Amino acid sequence: MSETKSFNAKDLSEIEKLTAKYPEKQAAVLPVLWYAQDKFGHVDPSVQKLVAQTMDLPEALIYGVVTFYTQFYEKPMGKHVLDVCTCLSCQICGGYDILHYLEEKLGIKAGETTPDGKFSIQSVECLGACAYAPMLQVTNDKYVNHLTREKVDQLIEDLKAGKQPGFESNKMPQHENGSD
Amino acid sequence: MPEIFIDNKRYEFEQPGKVLQFMLDNGLDLPFFCYHPSLSIPANCRQCMVKAGMPVFDKVKGTFELDENGERVIRYFPKLMTACSLDLADGMVVHTHHSDELVKQAQADNLEFILINHPLDCPICDQAGECPLQILTYKYGPEGSRFEHKKVHKPKAIQLGPRVILDAERCINCTRCVRFTDEISKTHQLTIISRGDKNYPMTANGKVFDDPYSLNTVDICPVGALTSADFRFKARVWEMNQTPGIDISNGKGCSTWVWTRDNLVMRITPRFNEAVNDHWMPDSGRLSYRIFNENRISKPWIRPDEKEQVRTTWNNAELTLREELDKVKPPEILVIGSPHASVEDSYAYKAYFKSLGVADFYFLPHVIPGSGDDLLLSDDQAPNTRGIRALGYSEVAGDKLQKLVASGRPKLVFILNDDILDRSDLAPSHLEDAYTVYLGTNHNSTSRAADLVIPITTAVEHAASYINVDGRIQRTVPAKETLYTNRRLNLEMSMGRPDHYGTKFDNWVTDANRIDCIPAWEFITRLNSGSDTFVWESSRRILAEIGKKIPAFQGITYEQMDENNGIQLKLEQDSEVNTI
Ligand code: SF4
Ligand code: FES
Ligand code: FES
Repeated sequence: MSETKSFNAKDLSEIEKLTAKYPEKQAAVLPVLWYAQDKFGHVDPSVQKLVAQTMDLPEALIYGVVTFYTQFYEKPMGKHVLDVCTCLSCQICGGYDILHYLEEKLGIKAGETTPDGKFSIQSVECLGACAYAPMLQVTNDKYVNHLTREKVDQLIEDLKAGKQPGFESNKMPQHENGSD
Repeated sequence: MPEIFIDNKRYEFEQPGKVLQFMLDNGLDLPFFCYHPSLSIPANCRQCMVKAGMPVFDKVKGTFELDENGERVIRYFPKLMTACSLDLADGMVVHTHHSDELVKQAQADNLEFILINHPLDCPICDQAGECPLQILTYKYGPEGSRFEHKKVHKPKAIQLGPRVILDAERCINCTRCVRFTDEISKTHQLTIISRGDKNYPMTANGKVFDDPYSLNTVDICPVGALTSADFRFKARVWEMNQTPGIDISNGKGCSTWVWTRDNLVMRITPRFNEAVNDHWMPDSGRLSYRIFNENRISKPWIRPDEKEQVRTTWNNAELTLREELDKVKPPEILVIGSPHASVEDSYAYKAYFKSLGVADFYFLPHVIPGSGDDLLLSDDQAPNTRGIRALGYSEVAGDKLQKLVASGRPKLVFILNDDILDRSDLAPSHLEDAYTVYLGTNHNSTSRAADLVIPITTAVEHAASYINVDGRIQRTVPAKETLYTNRRLNLEMSMGRPDHYGTKFDNWVTDANRIDCIPAWEFITRLNSGSDTFVWESSRRILAEIGKKIPAFQGITYEQMDENNGIQLKLEQDSEVNTI
């Protein structure tokens, strides 16, 4: 953690390009943080500091933004981050059961990472997929919907085998009879 | 003139502005938390909601549409509006809780929401008694809460910085503190972290909230989330008396409130003064309250023949001083004034020695170059440098002062309240050959080197004026009793509720903490009791006399200063030098 992080010339020119897209540099904080997270795998305090210095913005501001979004990782995370939604709709449909099942299965609590560095679990707020509750998101990317224990087992198997979940097309309940 | 109807009453407005501020200016009540007149408007607390609408204008006819009763037809905004961010508009109709049930309900509901996770620990909270949340809940809130679940818990008693402590559970996330560091002090040290019911203000990782103006966030925090590390748990708000004053720890002279209890100054907070400090003041000025309480000189001290200083009586002090004065000729007297002394004291001090035949009056400026900023801190550490210049004292550097003293010429040295030994090359040994008289408020290296020490009043014990670095004359009001003043007799002293209605023991748990001291001008009057030239009854008389002698002070009175929060003087050149 203590090794100093830095952006190289290419990073800096990318950041320059991102910043140039917006009338104010404050607006570029999100894309720059994404860029930084892609590079370092997380945006821990040292990365936040680097971003603040690079963009010449207050460190406190960057910190506020990072902590606002669960999508930004404040510390190094596992290879696969499982964001289990425990917000209202998912909660009603068993979001917590899924979370606790996952916790038991991986032997870690929400907010923790497995010792082998493969998996992290987070309990997150609504991901806008209430109709497919309960659901989870894998590493800020694919949604896995209508979760059951079996589906969770399968997902873990797949991820261990290096297979990312595919895109699931879901019909809205009112469309389920085939009619449009 | 453009008009607006608030609760069915017509008001006219000239300047564009916001509805909430307009209402406050007109003495109307509306609950609010996040709005602050000196900060940007985020409209995030939602407490100031009103029902607002505009009359329907018929463009074809060129008139307002009227209903069957001949009243203007009003088209209301579909939702309630936040008055803090709503622009005044000609013809606008506003309904508050006084004329609309929905608004009343919304205010109560909003408070119920805000209080869901609030710990309601008012009995142990420092803010109680001056807490907008407490007051507004009492006035506008619901009877109780329907929230039966466990409250969200957050960190408590976090030391955000050396002077500010955060209780995150009490925070209502109004962002006033964050906006203060972003917009006023510009240190950008605070942010709101996390989201939803988990959020609260914080500094960046590993950063300390050491903003030199950090304590202003404690004032503007509408709840007890931010408290002063120094004042925390020291006194309840209603136990203290609140007296207007000015900050004498810096040349800017911010307007202040001096809060006293049991005749001790408990804290100092800023008092709104548009011309000087707006709603703010530096932390250093607030923490300077200690000099009024601690290490005070009480009763005269005298050094009998090279020995340790001992306490003595006023009579003995006066007699000794007269004897010493009889021994010397005017050129053998060295008179050193002070940028820390008031206009009145400095005038009386100089006028007296001038009448004895002393020609030169010196002072050692108290300036720390680079210590100021462009907000409210000046390099000048003294409250009255401009004042004593205007009175004809001449500035002398530390090394020159040392030469003056060490030349052996002065046999009698007078020093008015200023620790000159602490910031010049002057050492106690230089003063050994002369008889040194110190008129001061606190014990310090200079008082310890003196042969006679006369205790004088501080800015919170006398009514006196000071001229700040910008040439503004402002005055103080006694807030703290001396042994010779009395809150009930001195009409200028403020009386708290317990003073008015309670017994002595309700407030004045102890009668101690009263210092045996008098204003410097009063001591000078006593010295001069034989003559009738310098017999002033009050500092008011002295100011009137100065007004007659120095054009810049003409017609200046305490009343004027009180009304206008000080008066800007025309002191372009400090040309009044030696005119008195
Ligand atoms: S700490 Fe106080 S001022 Fe700051 S956001 Fe919370 S309630 Fe507002
Ligand atoms: S509550 Fe889980 S996606 Fe909306
Ligand atoms: S004062 Fe907070 S929303 Fe208007």
